Order: sequence, then C-alpha cells, then structure tokens
Amino acid sequence: MTEEGFLTFPEEPRAKLDEALSDLVTRASDVLATQGRLRALLKANQLISQQLDLPVVLRRIVETAIDLVRAEFGALGVIGQEGNLEQFIHVGMGTADVERIGHLPEGHGLLGALIVDPHPIRLSHLADDERYSGFPAHHPRMDSFLGVPILVGDRVFGNLYLTNAAAGEFSSDDEELVKALAATAGFAIDNARMFANAQRRQAWFAASAELTVAVAGATDDPLELVVERVRQVACADLVRVLIPSRDSESMIIVRARGQDEDSIVGLEISRKGSVPGRVLQSGKPLLLNEDQVPGASKTLGLGPTMAVPLSTAGKTSGVLAVSRLPGGVPFAPEDLEMVADLAGRVGIALELAAARSDRQHIALMEERGRIARDLHDHVIQQLFATGLELQSIAGTLPAGGGPERLEQAISHIDQSIGQIRTAVFALAPKSRGGQISVRHRIIDLVGELGSALTEKPWVSFEGPVDLVIVGALADDVLAVVRESLTNVAKHASATKASLVVAIRDSGVEIEVQNDGAGHPSARSSGLTNLRERALSRGGDATFSSTDGAATFRWYVPINGRHDA
Amino acid sequence: MPEAIRVFVVDDHEVVRRGVAALLESEDDVEVVGEAGSVAQARPRIAATVPDVALLDMRLPDGDGIDLCRDVRSQNPNVRCIILTAHDDDEAVYAAVVAGASGYVLKDMRSASLIDAVRAVAQGRRLLDPAISRMALTRMSASQPSASPVDALNTREREILELIAEGMTNRQIGETLALAEKTVKNYVSSLLAKLGIQRRTQAVAVQLEHRSRPSE
Repeated sequence: MTEEGFLTFPEEPRAKLDEALSDLVTRASDVLATQGRLRALLKANQLISQQLDLPVVLRRIVETAIDLVRAEFGALGVIGQEGNLEQFIHVGMGTADVERIGHLPEGHGLLGALIVDPHPIRLSHLADDERYSGFPAHHPRMDSFLGVPILVGDRVFGNLYLTNAAAGEFSSDDEELVKALAATAGFAIDNARMFANAQRRQAWFAASAELTVAVAGATDDPLELVVERVRQVACADLVRVLIPSRDSESMIIVRARGQDEDSIVGLEISRKGSVPGRVLQSGKPLLLNEDQVPGASKTLGLGPTMAVPLSTAGKTSGVLAVSRLPGGVPFAPEDLEMVADLAGRVGIALELAAARSDRQHIALMEERGRIARDLHDHVIQQLFATGLELQSIAGTLPAGGGPERLEQAISHIDQSIGQIRTAVFALAPKSRGGQISVRHRIIDLVGELGSALTEKPWVSFEGPVDLVIVGALADDVLAVVRESLTNVAKHASATKASLVVAIRDSGVEIEVQNDGAGHPSARSSGLTNLRERALSRGGDATFSSTDGAATFRWYVPINGRHDA
Repeated sequence: MPEAIRVFVVDDHEVVRRGVAALLESEDDVEVVGEAGSVAQARPRIAATVPDVALLDMRLPDGDGIDLCRDVRSQNPNVRCIILTAHDDDEAVYAAVVAGASGYVLKDMRSASLIDAVRAVAQGRRLLDPAISRMALTRMSASQPSASPVDALNTREREILELIAEGMTNRQIGETLALAEKTVKNYVSSLLAKLGIQRRTQAVAVQLEHRSRPSE
C-alpha cells in the first residue's frame, strides 16, 4: 500500500466540510438544548398546573422560572388594587439577607416600570437602565434582569422578576420561555383562585345553613353562635354585633368575638361616621380596605372591615361587623356577598325564634290568666263568704274571748283576700294602653328590693291606686317605697316587712311596717328627703316604733290638684 | 224606729249571697227583700220588690252589674245601687261611675264597710269621693286605654259619658239627646268595651264552668 493509495481532499473543500460538520454539530446540540429546554418548560407547566393552593402555586412559578432560565434570584410580585406590590414571593435569597434588608420591595424603579407598562423587560445590566433606582443597603448584587408580566384573564396579576442569569445575561429564548411560563402561570393562578373561592363559598354556605338551624332552635344566646361561627369562616380577628342605643346617636356593641372581646362588649360608638352607623342608616352592606376605615375603627385597632345589616321583620335592627387587624388581607367583594347572605338568613332565623318565644309567652300569659280568673272567681268569693259568716257569728256571741278571736280570724281572712288580689293583679298583663301602671311598678320594685330581706315584703293596695297616683306623684311614691324598704333592709334587722299603698280619705298613704327594732338611723337623710317630698305636697311623714314593730307612714292629700 | 232599709242582693255565688244576706239581716235596721244569681232573674225581681238599695255583683253569668245597674235605674231612679266586686279598686271605680251606681264595695272584710255602705247609700249619699270620680271621668275621656285611634270615644260616646257622670239614667240620657233608650244602651255597651272595662261574656263563663267540673 502506498501513500498514493490514500484518498485525499484538497485543502479548501476540506476546511469547508469541517466547518459544515462543526456547524451541524453545533446546530444539533442547539436543537438538543432547545428540545431540552422545551421539555423543561413542559415539565414546569405541568408542575405549576398541578397545584390548587394559591400560595403554593405562586412559589412553584418562581422556582420553575429560575430553573428554566438558570437565574440566581427570582421573585413574583402580586399587584394590589392601588397598583402597589401587595405580595412579594422571592426565591434564592437567604433569610439572613432578607432580614438585613429589612423590608420587601414596594414597587418603585424597574419593578414599578413593569407595573405601569406590563411588557417584558430584558437587560444585560440593571444599573445601566434609566429606570433603575438603586438597591437598598445589604442587598445582594444583581446584574442581568428579566421581568415578565403575568396576566390573569386580561388583568395584570403580577410580574415575574429574574436576575443574574448563569450565562451572564438572559437570551431572547429565555424571554420567550418565561413568557410561555407566565401564560401558564396565569391560568394556574386563575384556577387556584376559583378553587379557593369555591371552597370559601362552600364554607360560608355550610356556616349559613348550620347557623340558620342553630339560631332558630337556640335555647341560649343565638347571637353568640353567630359571632363565633362568622369569625371562623371569615378568618376574621374581630366580629361584632351592634344595635342602636336609645339615644339615637350611638350604637352599642352587644356581642363580640375575637380581639379584646370582653372589654369592648357594652361599648358605645357614635353612629355618625362610623362603619356600623353608616350600615344602620343605609341598610346596605359596606366593604372597607384598611386605609378606608374611619379613625374610630382605627382606635379599636381594626384594619380591613366589612359590615352588613341584621334585619328582622324588614327592619334593620342591628349590624354585624367583621374585621381583620391592620395589615390583614383585605376582604373580597365575594366575602361581603357571603356575609350579607348569611346575615339575611340569620335575621329570618332570629325572627322565627322571636315568634316562637312570643307564642310561648302568650301561652304563659293565658295560663296565668286562667289561674287569676280561678283565684278571682272561686277563691276570693269563698273567703269572702266565710268571712261574712264569721262576722255574723261574732255578732251573736257574748263578749269576752270568742268574738275577739273571731275578729282576729276575720282579719286574717281579709289579709289573704288582699294578698290574692295583689297576686291576681300581678298575674295580669302589665301594660294597659302602653303605660305600665304604678301598681305594677311598685310590685316590680318590691321584687327587686325583696332579696335584701329574709322574706319578700307583703304588698297590698287599697283604693284606686292607679287612678290617683300618676305623673310626678308616681315617681315620689316609688322613691318612698324604695327608700323606706331599703332602710328596713339596712338598719331594722327585720325579717318581715309589709307595704300598704292606699288611697284613703282623699289622700295617698304609704305604710311600711317591719318586725325589726326601730333604729336611730331611721331618721337617716333618705327618710328626711322623703318627708320633704311629703311636705312639699302638703302632706307629712312619720316614723314610730313600739316593741318589735316599726312603722313608717307617708301621707299626701289629693286635694283635686293632681298631676294627671 | 224608722222603717228598715230594704236591700236586694245579686250575686252568682250562693255562699256570697247567703253570707251578705246573713250579715245584713243581723242588723235591725236592714231587711233583705230578695236575692238573684243572674241578670235574667234579677230584673223582674228588682222591678217587683223596688228595694231602697241593690247590691250588684259586677260579674254575672249572663251579663254584668254595670248594665244591670243602668237598667234598674232607668226603670226606677229611686233604686240606689252598689257595685259589689272581687276585682280591684281601679276597675271598680270606673265600673261604678259608668254604671251610675252610688259606689262600690270590694269583696273583703276591711272595716266591715258593707253595712255602713248600705246605710250611707240609703240616705242618698255617694260612696265615691267626688275628686276620684272626676279623675276617673277625665281619664276615661282623655287617655284611651287602647292606643289605637280607632278605639277612641266618638263625640256621641263622650257626650253620653258626661251625662252618665251627672248621674243620669239611660232613659234620661235618651230624653236629653233625643235618642231611644235602647240606642243609649248600645252606646254605653260600646263605650264600656272601648274603655277596656272587663266584662264577663257568656262564652267565658260557660268555658270556665266546663273546665272546673271534671276536677271537682
């Protein structure tokens, strides 16, 4: 074999072939690289689409984007309603660095530029760009930059930021890949949001249904159930129920669950300008972001707040207010819709519960009425007849022993009749024509004071008490009853007391007797005050005590000049 | 000795009737001339006996003492009436005023007032303090027990109430206002209903009787 036998190529074509071969190899490896990257994109798409939990989805997007273009740092900024960065999810930076910087970006400089104009920005050197506004102290050095907006539907949800490409800078391929990823990210975010909404809706409906049943059948406080459950479902920090107070200028917090729940119940807040006040007036739900809440809510330490009317019988009877702490996630319009729906159902349930309690009340009143009629129609008549009989027997007996004892028996019967009459009266409905009669007011007052005495004072009325004792005179009479019975409880060491309120000889007479010893402090300032009240009406008050019994007597004439 | 005071007793409780009668009979100057347990029995008997004083229970099984009192006095203004009631004073004052009675006596033993009351009324005295009658009247015509304006007294009822206050019988009111006695009676009934003065209707009475029997 000679050298001549070898096949030889001329120099020039050989160089061209080498060139073509190496070109082919490069292109082949390019194709392979691109294929590999496309595969990586597919995988990335798959990874982020699998997730339904929004926070997880967002983090996954950043992680896969970093892998895809081999960046050192990556972040996703979520744009809030005000065009600021509401959330900033970052990957690649150590916790120590994050702590040193101290705060997350707020959306100025380049980050802001992407918010204002949502088109990709690709830079070899960050610092060369005119929109660059510098890094805060302790921030790691960042050079190459790729920013791509993420659209959900046709709304810009946020931006994907990538820095420090491993290759030195990001290529146009990188940009295309991240754009493709961003498109998938948009769908993934949308899905996750819809899923979250569906879950939240379901939670609200479940709470609504549960509360409707619970409130309508509640034996204890239905509103307690409402505030507790709403706080859970709404992920709120404070839930309050407010009702209008009597003065028509404020509202009072009647139930609260969450932050400071114990100290704010009973608190009154002004209707004017306050969130609950506005809802009470308009009857419409209200949703406020943190910077929209009025000063009054801020002093309560409240951030995002929503408030809805609680209506019964078509009338706004209260307000349900749901709040998060300052810095908390704002409530979404869907949240408001849900809480309004829940409040509506609760209102109906409350109405039903009220109607049922009314029915029970009516049944009770009817039963009382029957008892009262029986006492009246049978018992009083029997006692009266017996008394009459005893009276006529007493007349036929010779003096000494017999008649006296009979007189005593008769007077006992008389007391019993008086007690029954008071009981019959107490069993009757309290108001006639919307006004509570003075006798009912006295009975209630004695009931209230009675606990201070060993035995509940015995109360009886004589004469047309309700007819005569009205207006300012009624207030005087109640003051006398209160003061004199309080005095007995405090000073007389009495076990029994009786009260007679009578219209006798054209005058009003109050007599309080007790079996305790008379006490010097019976001439206390309270009793002096009562005497003055009597004197100013042309009457008088006296105090007398014998062994084992003390009597306070208060008297004023009617003399036609009354406070009707 | 002057002639005895002739008294007629109307009460549906026999024990009460007997007790009242026994008590009155024990006095020398009082004579019980008749008794009745219902409005239906009382009307003809009172008309026949013409007592000086009629003691009328406010609640009767077939009506009430207020109507009966006005009927009795329309027929014979010389018969003076006392309303006897187990109710409380406030009710009794209104009842006595509207009934045109000389007063009322509660069914209790306090101060043995029944005999005194009968004697006073027989002499033509009124038991009710004029100041209190006036108050009751003012209250009745001014503030309505019912808040509903529909239930307020109309002009004619108010007019009639004023004449009642002057002590006129249904017949006298009829003559004064040129109305039939029956019409006046109807006005008084609606007036009583509007004032919310308790009246025992036939229905309630029957119901209660039925209810109390099986347990006895």
